[in-house]
Amino acid sequence: MENRLLINLVPGDTFLHRLTGKTKVRTFIILLVYIIMSFDIRLIMPLLILTIIGLVSLKTNWKRVKYFIIVIAAVNLLNIVLFWLADPDIGSYWCGGGNTVLLSLTGRLFLSAETLWYLSVRFIKMITSFMVSLVFILSITPSEMAAGLYSIKVPYKICTIFSIAFRYIPDIARDFNNIKVSLQTRGVELDPKKASLMSRIKQNVLILVPLIITSFDRVGNISNAMDLRGFGRGKTRTYYSEHEELKADKVFKAIHIILLLFCAYWIITQNIMPQTIKMWYPFA
Amino acid sequence: MSAPIVEFKNFGFRYKTQKSPTLYDINLTIRKGEKVLILGPSGSGKSTLANCINGLNPFSYDGVITGSCKVAGMETKDASIFALSKVVGTVLQDSDAQFVGLSVGEDIAFALENQSVPRKEMLPMVDQAARIVGMEDFLMHVPYDLSGGQKQKVALAGVLHGDVELLIFDEPLASLDPRTGMTAVELIDRIHKEQNKTIVIIEHRLEDVLHRRVDRIVLMNEGRIVYDGDADSLLASDLLTRYGIREPLYIMAMKYAGCGMSPGQKLSDIHQLDLSPFEEKLKKQHLMEIEKHVPKIGEEILRVEDVTFAYGKTPVLKDVSFTIRKGEKVAFVGKNGAGKSTMAKLICGIERPRQGRVLMNGADYMSLSIKEIGEKVGYVMQNPNQMLVKDIIKDEVELAMLLRGKSRKEMDEAVKKTLKMCGLWPMRNWPVSAVSYGQKKRVTIASILVLQPDIIILDEPTAGQDFRHYTEIMEFLDELNREYGITIVFITHDMHLAIQYTDRAVVFAEGEVVADDSVFKVLSDDEVINRANLKQTSLYTLARRLGFEPEAYIEHFINYERMVRVHGKPAAD
Amino acid sequence: MNKVLKTLLGVWNTKTIVAIAIGAALFGVLMNYGGIPIYTNTRLTTAMIVPVIVGSMFGPVPAFISCSVGNVIADLIGGWGLWFDWSVGNGVLGFIIGLLPLYGAKINEGIFKPVHAVIYAIVCVIGNALAFGVITPLLTVAFYGGELTITFLQAFAGGIANTAVLVIVGIPILYALARRSARGSNLVMEEEKEE
Ligand SMILES: Nc1ncnc2c1ncn2[C@@H]1O[C@H](COP(=O)(O)OP(=O)(O)OP(=O)(O)O)[C@@H](O)[C@H]1O
Ligand SMILES: Nc1ncnc2c1ncn2[C@@H]1O[C@H](COP(=O)(O)OP(=O)(O)OP(=O)(O)O)[C@@H](O)[C@H]1O
Ligand SMILES: [Mg+2]
Ligand SMILES: [Mg+2]
Repeated sequence: MENRLLINLVPGDTFLHRLTGKTKVRTFIILLVYIIMSFDIRLIMPLLILTIIGLVSLKTNWKRVKYFIIVIAAVNLLNIVLFWLADPDIGSYWCGGGNTVLLSLTGRLFLSAETLWYLSVRFIKMITSFMVSLVFILSITPSEMAAGLYSIKVPYKICTIFSIAFRYIPDIARDFNNIKVSLQTRGVELDPKKASLMSRIKQNVLILVPLIITSFDRVGNISNAMDLRGFGRGKTRTYYSEHEELKADKVFKAIHIILLLFCAYWIITQNIMPQTIKMWYPFA
Repeated sequence: MSAPIVEFKNFGFRYKTQKSPTLYDINLTIRKGEKVLILGPSGSGKSTLANCINGLNPFSYDGVITGSCKVAGMETKDASIFALSKVVGTVLQDSDAQFVGLSVGEDIAFALENQSVPRKEMLPMVDQAARIVGMEDFLMHVPYDLSGGQKQKVALAGVLHGDVELLIFDEPLASLDPRTGMTAVELIDRIHKEQNKTIVIIEHRLEDVLHRRVDRIVLMNEGRIVYDGDADSLLASDLLTRYGIREPLYIMAMKYAGCGMSPGQKLSDIHQLDLSPFEEKLKKQHLMEIEKHVPKIGEEILRVEDVTFAYGKTPVLKDVSFTIRKGEKVAFVGKNGAGKSTMAKLICGIERPRQGRVLMNGADYMSLSIKEIGEKVGYVMQNPNQMLVKDIIKDEVELAMLLRGKSRKEMDEAVKKTLKMCGLWPMRNWPVSAVSYGQKKRVTIASILVLQPDIIILDEPTAGQDFRHYTEIMEFLDELNREYGITIVFITHDMHLAIQYTDRAVVFAEGEVVADDSVFKVLSDDEVINRANLKQTSLYTLARRLGFEPEAYIEHFINYERMVRVHGKPAAD
Repeated sequence: MNKVLKTLLGVWNTKTIVAIAIGAALFGVLMNYGGIPIYTNTRLTTAMIVPVIVGSMFGPVPAFISCSVGNVIADLIGGWGLWFDWSVGNGVLGFIIGLLPLYGAKINEGIFKPVHAVIYAIVCVIGNALAFGVITPLLTVAFYGGELTITFLQAFAGGIANTAVLVIVGIPILYALARRSARGSNLVMEEEKEE
């Protein structure tokens, strides 16, 4: 089961893996802000290249990752086509009002250079956002994530939700399989090819009731085990999984400060100050 | 005498949700350095008592306390659970649920993390605790890589920090294989001696706990303490049978032989006990002629041929072969993780062999679907909650027939017959939630039996249940076998069960069948016992000390025991 | 007023935290393995039952957290990347669905009447409209830009699938769970009836 999860439970051994949870979580959040604020290929493209380098450096199992990348790319491509169909002139609004038609299919449906630019930027932005989270997921463990969130002042009781949830996912998945199996031996048809949508919904009810009961049955035991070891006694908490900062973490700290300052500058000058929304368009 | 660490004085406890108290008039003193075993039937209040010491009652379960309970000088009514957790460490029964960390190291560190101990100081403390239980090489392991016994050790290490003086174990042995259970008992004993801790153990498996000396036994019944004294006197009395607790096998054997026991003898230690006063009677009993039990066995119904299976890359089962005949009672025994449950899944067709064949009534089952195999083989899982999907007992039992589109008439007849067989007919319209654990187990068995399978496989049918429920379930299954000729396979860690209720044992170790023979032969073969993490029962030791052939002695005991169970005790000679 | 606030927040002890975590884990598992896929981003997922349970036992704020954390966890184990616009949407829906105890449906005490089912169905519709008809598309456009109508339509399709599951699958489950937790009263052994 656990090897079907994308997130690692055991820390890996590459440069990114060895950073502290604090560094990883902070980097991730700052990069998210960075992506969300910018609609500018000059900012997004370098980050995309960096994430590709990051992904390669993690030495992950390519086969599994490839599948997700392809699906996400396909979904977003489809989205872009839909956007174009809905409003072929969407680009002129963003790229300073120009309307250079490249290809005209019908009177209403045409492809302009501005729209093509705008849609490509959005596509790259979505892919970059996905890549950042993929690298983040592949480089962190749930415990480091709890520790990292705690370091940005998230209350530790909330952080604990993450680590406890990950601890019990394999148990719940195992219960789920057992329940399914026991129903199958009693004659429930679970093969999607053989059962109609309605009967599949009915079977879901049959599986869910015992799954919910067995899952929540353990709550009492777990919380007792935690209470007995003093969970919730103090205002603060330390983390066994959060090792001391290394040199690389200190370098990242400096980068964080620079990035944050840049983001603040950019948001104020580009997102708040300007009256008209405009994106960088080199061919205007 | 050392200073008391726990002092109950006229203590009582009532859960807010209950009308009457669960504990009454408790007067009990536990002194520093003592090792105390608490016994009692299910529902007698053992866990409640333990939870009054560690503070879960009333911190977690609201309730009313009368009288006084002092732990290390603190009145528990007024002390916080946190203050108590510094003195009292508790290891709960469910080794899965209490493993809250994502790795061994993290779980051991959990208490320290909560105290905000800086990581620099934490590491050596975790290391030391892990070393005490022998888990120092596993700090990076995730819980799914660990066996039940290893998880139990981690749980123990997690409460060993600082100046914890008192350790409470609530049923630490459930679901451990016999050898691992024995190691756990030894580990607790070592910590008792080397770390100088006070120990309180709650456990149904008396024979296993007595593997190491206990200072005192407290026997509870219906919320009161009915015995508080040394083990020897308790074993000599008839209190255990009166309160429904399973006696150790050698005590049973001696009682069968009519040995009069007195409290002065070292009855709690089979190795030290002076046998000379009993020798004659035991020998005489051994020579007594008893009818040998010959199981009624029909033709072959299941054949497993060279089956190999793997979930991932490493094989879980390797070239396994055995056959089962109609009307047999077979036990699958062996190490935790040896592949017993996997074998059951293969027989039911839930998993299919990578190599080899499974034949049912002589035909390869590969062409059959899980559903079709389900009519021939029924699989009862360990946890009844994973199997119960309907809310009325009758509906649950009906489900399998309903799904097979049987006619109303056919269904009603089969359901009625099954419910009667299982003694559930008068409760047929009850909600499943209203019945006890043992009865739930029966409902799951009924829901399988209704299809009239040839074989029924039960995965750990008695784990964590007290003797009364245990006997109830096993007698019921025995009857099914005797009256209806149903073939039964038990997967179990309980050698008692294997001895008393099965004819044959298939022993698994590391994915292979290492023995397939009658239970008494298996349990007197040292090599098999070692490979499969089994344990010699006390009967073996007794036979050795008396100079009998262990195999013959155990067989004799089994036959005698079966006779007593089925026909009652013969008149005293 | 104070009482309403208390029902909203729930009691925050270790049990609540563990229940939220188990709920989130269940959400993650069901989202990844318990769904019936219909369209790329949208699956007819049974995961939405989690806020119903957590909400009915612990109140709407725990349901909110359980759902949004659950969505993050589903993303973390599934590999679809982290999309906070959807997490917030799921959280808001969880909150609204978790209002159950506010109108008297107490699943863990066995109380779930037809009135509750009706209110529940209405609440589901409103909750989905708000979460996926307003909040998620607005956040998506704010975060990533794009065409508002299309984004809105996509989110809304997901919302309709959710509503369908919540009503069609949810109500029978709620009934079943309530019946399960109702302690049987007046249970009598029925004697042999010869028919
Ligand atoms: N949290 C609780 N709330 C209400 N009643 C409880 C609670 N826990 C236990 N009881 C009641 O107290 C009685 C004693 O239960 P307890 O768990 O102490 O028994 P036990 O001796 O440990 O049994 P077992 O061997 O089955 O573990 C039972 O009848 C049970 O119904
Ligand atoms: N669904 C699964 N996927 C992958 N590996 C599994 C699965 N189920 C069991 N295993 C592995 O297969 C081996 C045999 O497991 P199995 O459950 O059959 O053991 P067992 O003999 O029943 O043990 P126990 O006595 O502890 O119940 C173990 O190493 C286990 O980790
Ligand atoms: Mg107990
Ligand atoms: Mg097993």
